[in-house]
Amino acid sequence: MAHELIPYALFLPLLGFLINGMFGRRLKSEALIGGIGSATVGIGFLIAGWTFVEMLSLAPEERTFIVPVIDWITAGNLSVNISYQADQLSILMMLIVTGVGFLIHIYSIGYMHGDPGIGRFFAYLNLFIFAMLNLILADNFLLMFLGWEGVGLCSYLLIGFWYDRKFEKGTTGDAAKKAFIVNRIGDFGFLIAMFLIFMTFGSLSFQAVFAQASAFPAGSVVITWITIALFLGATGKSAQIPLFVWLPDAMAGPTPVSALIHAATMVTAGIYMIARCSVLFALAPTTMMIVAVVGAATAFFAATIGLVQNDIKKVLAYSTVSQLGYMFLALGVGAFTAGLFHLMTHAFFKALLFLGSGSVIHAMHEEQDIQNMGGLRKYMPITSFTFIIGTIAISGIPPLSGFFSKDEILWKTFSGGHIGLWIIGAVAAVLTAFYMTRLTILTFHGEKRWGEGKHPHESPKTMTYPLIVLAILSVIGGAVGWPAALGGNNALEHWLEPILERANNEMHLIAPGHDPMEYALMAFSVGIAVAGMFLGYTMYLKKKEMPAKLATSWPRLYRTLLNKWYVDQIYEASVVSPIQVGSEKVLWKGVDVGVIDWTVNAIARLFGFISKYARMAQTGVPETYVFVFIVGVVTIIGFLALK
Amino acid sequence: MPEQLLGDITKFLPEITLTVMFLVAICADLMFRKSPQIVAGITLTGLILSGAFVLNQSGMNESIFGNMIAVDPFAVFFKVIILMSAIFVIVFSLSSVELQTASRRLGEYYSLLGGLALGMMLMAGASNLLMMYLAIELSSVSSYILAGFTKEAPDSSEASLKYVIYGGLSSGLMLYGISIIYGLTGSLDIYEINHVLAQGSVSGSALAIAGILTLVGFGYKISAVPFHFWTPDVYEGSPITITAFLSVASKAGGFAVMIRFFKGVFIDPSATHLPEGMWASLSGFEWYHVVAAISVVTMTLGNLVALWQDNMKRLLAYSSIAHAGYMLMGVVVLSNEGLAAILVYFMVYLFMNLGAFYIVMVIANKTGSEDVEDYKGIGKRAPFLGVALTVFLISLTGLPPTAGFIGKLYLFAALLNSGWIWLAIVGALNSVISLYYYAKVLRNMYLRSEASEKKTEMIDIPRVQVATVLVLLVPVIALGLYFTPLVEMAQASVKMFGSP
Amino acid sequence: MLTEFGRVFIFLILGVVFVAGGLVFSWLIRPNRPYPSKLTTYECGEEPIGDTRVRFNIRFYVVALIFLIFDVEVVFLFPWATVFKGLGWFAFFEMMVFLVILFVGYAYVWRKGDLDWDRPTPKVPKYERGIGVREDHLMEEEVAL
Repeated sequence: MAHELIPYALFLPLLGFLINGMFGRRLKSEALIGGIGSATVGIGFLIAGWTFVEMLSLAPEERTFIVPVIDWITAGNLSVNISYQADQLSILMMLIVTGVGFLIHIYSIGYMHGDPGIGRFFAYLNLFIFAMLNLILADNFLLMFLGWEGVGLCSYLLIGFWYDRKFEKGTTGDAAKKAFIVNRIGDFGFLIAMFLIFMTFGSLSFQAVFAQASAFPAGSVVITWITIALFLGATGKSAQIPLFVWLPDAMAGPTPVSALIHAATMVTAGIYMIARCSVLFALAPTTMMIVAVVGAATAFFAATIGLVQNDIKKVLAYSTVSQLGYMFLALGVGAFTAGLFHLMTHAFFKALLFLGSGSVIHAMHEEQDIQNMGGLRKYMPITSFTFIIGTIAISGIPPLSGFFSKDEILWKTFSGGHIGLWIIGAVAAVLTAFYMTRLTILTFHGEKRWGEGKHPHESPKTMTYPLIVLAILSVIGGAVGWPAALGGNNALEHWLEPILERANNEMHLIAPGHDPMEYALMAFSVGIAVAGMFLGYTMYLKKKEMPAKLATSWPRLYRTLLNKWYVDQIYEASVVSPIQVGSEKVLWKGVDVGVIDWTVNAIARLFGFISKYARMAQTGVPETYVFVFIVGVVTIIGFLALK
Repeated sequence: MPEQLLGDITKFLPEITLTVMFLVAICADLMFRKSPQIVAGITLTGLILSGAFVLNQSGMNESIFGNMIAVDPFAVFFKVIILMSAIFVIVFSLSSVELQTASRRLGEYYSLLGGLALGMMLMAGASNLLMMYLAIELSSVSSYILAGFTKEAPDSSEASLKYVIYGGLSSGLMLYGISIIYGLTGSLDIYEINHVLAQGSVSGSALAIAGILTLVGFGYKISAVPFHFWTPDVYEGSPITITAFLSVASKAGGFAVMIRFFKGVFIDPSATHLPEGMWASLSGFEWYHVVAAISVVTMTLGNLVALWQDNMKRLLAYSSIAHAGYMLMGVVVLSNEGLAAILVYFMVYLFMNLGAFYIVMVIANKTGSEDVEDYKGIGKRAPFLGVALTVFLISLTGLPPTAGFIGKLYLFAALLNSGWIWLAIVGALNSVISLYYYAKVLRNMYLRSEASEKKTEMIDIPRVQVATVLVLLVPVIALGLYFTPLVEMAQASVKMFGSP
Repeated sequence: MLTEFGRVFIFLILGVVFVAGGLVFSWLIRPNRPYPSKLTTYECGEEPIGDTRVRFNIRFYVVALIFLIFDVEVVFLFPWATVFKGLGWFAFFEMMVFLVILFVGYAYVWRKGDLDWDRPTPKVPKYERGIGVREDHLMEEEVAL
């Protein structure tokens, strides 16, 4: 049946990686390279879709498939298999990853046209899909970790894809390293969590661990620590406070990469992981509170930075961080479905926005500063139109998808009694609407601010078609979570229920009912979104002198926001420099050279000394050999005799 | 009686195939003197055919020719290793420049390789002391000739002669040991000897001396210190293909026959186990102390002396002595876990050691040098070979994610589980030492550049050789990541020795 | 109680004592009056030429080895002959296989030239134009094993 094909959905991108990676330079045809890259992912999407259909035909509790591939490690108590778990949660993720991934692969054929490294590019993209599918389909923590590390590696490779280009103060290589190193901190948390899980439960398989988790009381210390360590991992991969600094720099990579990895899929791995471990998280209220607070803070914080950025991709990057914050907020208040819902809609509209920005950058010959754009609407109608749809969707105007998911998060936060968090979320929503409107207007409207010599044009069809598809998804994607309050049946929530049931029971969430408050809040959400958009419209299209005036009125605030709250500088001063100084002055010159090197060298010299004499025994004279031989035999016999 | 023999012959097919192959090969050698490739082809066919028969024997557990030879999973495992390395070595030989100096006699070379493989396969199965001795001699005599095959090179003749002298001495002592055992027990069949020993009427000290003398023969075959002196000289003097073969297959045969001897003769058949899962030995002959001591000395000396070697072949020779030391640790444990670890290690060692030797050969083909100094800049001149050699050396050191790590992991795990903690520590320290000389090669390849301008051109290697390297390289990495089937196979292969 | 090996051991000791005793005894009782011609090596009454330690041609060893191998192999025919009647055709074919193997070995040795007595090739100086002797082409000639 369909689910038995799932290993092929992983195997094909791997095959694509091998083909493009090994022969990419020899394959002359870009169409062939791109075709191989896209087709492998496309088939993966078909398999995912077929499995989904198969699931639909089954009763909800039968929708979990375990597809074993091989027994990987069997050592003592530890038994880890490579086997894939397809259930309601992972099939949702798989559809998103392969579906959006496929569109972005198609888009890349146009975007990377003429790049000499196109074979390498598609090889990396395919490897990424392979790793990402491992992450979401794994049925145990170790395999998930393998995918987790794999996507990190691909992210590193793709951020630094144009390794010889300048980026900000350094090269793209520096940005790639930053992403990799910051992620390592998070991975460390994941590793610790795995050790703790194996220690506590004696297994790494999801089913075994979650089955045993019920035996622990809510708030048990070990579960709390496990979940905190897991959440540390999630903050790294999903760019949350305090580990979000790598994501804006990750924009150094090609734009399709930003869309695929740093907006739609990889950065949502943390959300997926927490949803997957919802049983554990539900048992740790402390961690849940931390998750919610960190999420809300990140949502607000990143949105403020987004207000003043001038790089089109930077704005979107901070917007991504902010939206991821929303998802964590949802998870933290126990609204796992809402978080995953937002994950899905966000994948659609953020991929759309990134690809749109890529289309603009492509047309403007690598220009990324929105101060040098404007008026592009006439030159690139499709890009412009789809971009506006994305903007409306992310701002939360009904009936586009963003409204439903964001509203559900805010409603669940409010109804869960977290009024403070709700206020932060609402403010962030205004900011989101504002900066997205600003971005759209500065890019596509007003008069053109780009010099002669640039001839913007609409992108080729391989690029615009994915935009159109994503735009349609952004419009209608909200339907799967159409809330009951508006006469829908909230299909997504029912779909995910079997997976999240136990966590929901643990959280004692109030049953969804008809609450007049819900309608009020919905109206409020729409209101603030419209207000934010109107503000942006006014400031950047009608009263253009206002932004400058505001900047001069509050120079300190403006500079703080422009410099991203000085987080990079603070990290530099508080973490990087002390480590650098400490490692140079103390660890290197003191401990390393003085103690370790000395000891090691002394031991090495000792062995060298012994070795020098030991090898003299090998004289090359057979008489000596025979002599030593006989002495050896006699010694052994003597040894036995004396015993 | 003849029916019995005829029945046994069908279980002896792999060996018969090799014998027939050998005869056909030498006849072909006489007829087609100008084209040794024909003989190579015949030998290769024979080896592959024999391999097919060996695989057909898997699962069999019988004793043939009146308990002369055992056909059991243990023997099959070692036969597979021996045949695989023989096949690899013949493939290596086809592209060796060194051997071309003696191209007229190459036919003889290939047929002798087959004979050598036959001797080793008999070692793997022999379960009678006389059969063991004959098998060891058959392989030794073939090795002597092959070691001195390039007799135009003085090193080669010297190596061969030293090998003969040393081999003669150790076979003499071994025969002496065997004759004492025969005198004490009245039998050469290891099962009967075991039976006699179990009655407890045999003097322990005489038995110990006999056991040690027999051990000398095995120690020589696996080049354990202090019976190793021939190894560096022979390995350096022999053609590199033969060195590679001796370092893997000869050791495999030696270990097979040694393990069967000790297990068959000295282990209490009533299957009483020591608390740590080790087998109890008969007659108070606690020879695992002896083996432990030999193991420590072997690996330490092998590694220490390797530190100073500046010839790749000699370096790998000492490294192979050290590896014999590691594997002896498994014999010390002598639980099924320990033996399974040895089997795993051997399979891994086959790929990584042959791989390292092959690359040394390919580089020597092009540069004409085996000096570590001449490896400067190889990483840039031959990127593929550089990377492959790096993987092989890392695997020989025993670092993850290569197969070498898995081999060491299981060995050390077996040691720790049976309480030989000090031995495990010594083994781990030795791995650290070995890192130094392996890394020295890597440093020369990548971090040192060749001073003279002439030696910077790229080294091109034919595709066939790339493919051969890949065939060896892929398992080294694959077994490092996915090793469960190998481990299970090894565990199944030692099961017939009795539970735990 | 003496075991079988005990008897052998006693026999061994007696053997050593017998030989050593004879030598020691004769050394004790013999007169000792040496003179030069008495001390020379006995060579059938001829004047000894050079040392007794001569380097034998390596061929002797090769031939001796080949002889030994075939000689020992043929010894197997004797036990076979004694049981031949009881075993019948099976034993007959088995021995034929054995003999064929032996024969192949013999043919191999012959063909490889190991039975040829390697005569030192006379070095015939060959003069070409100019002064000097070129012998390197002689070295290239096949030197049989």
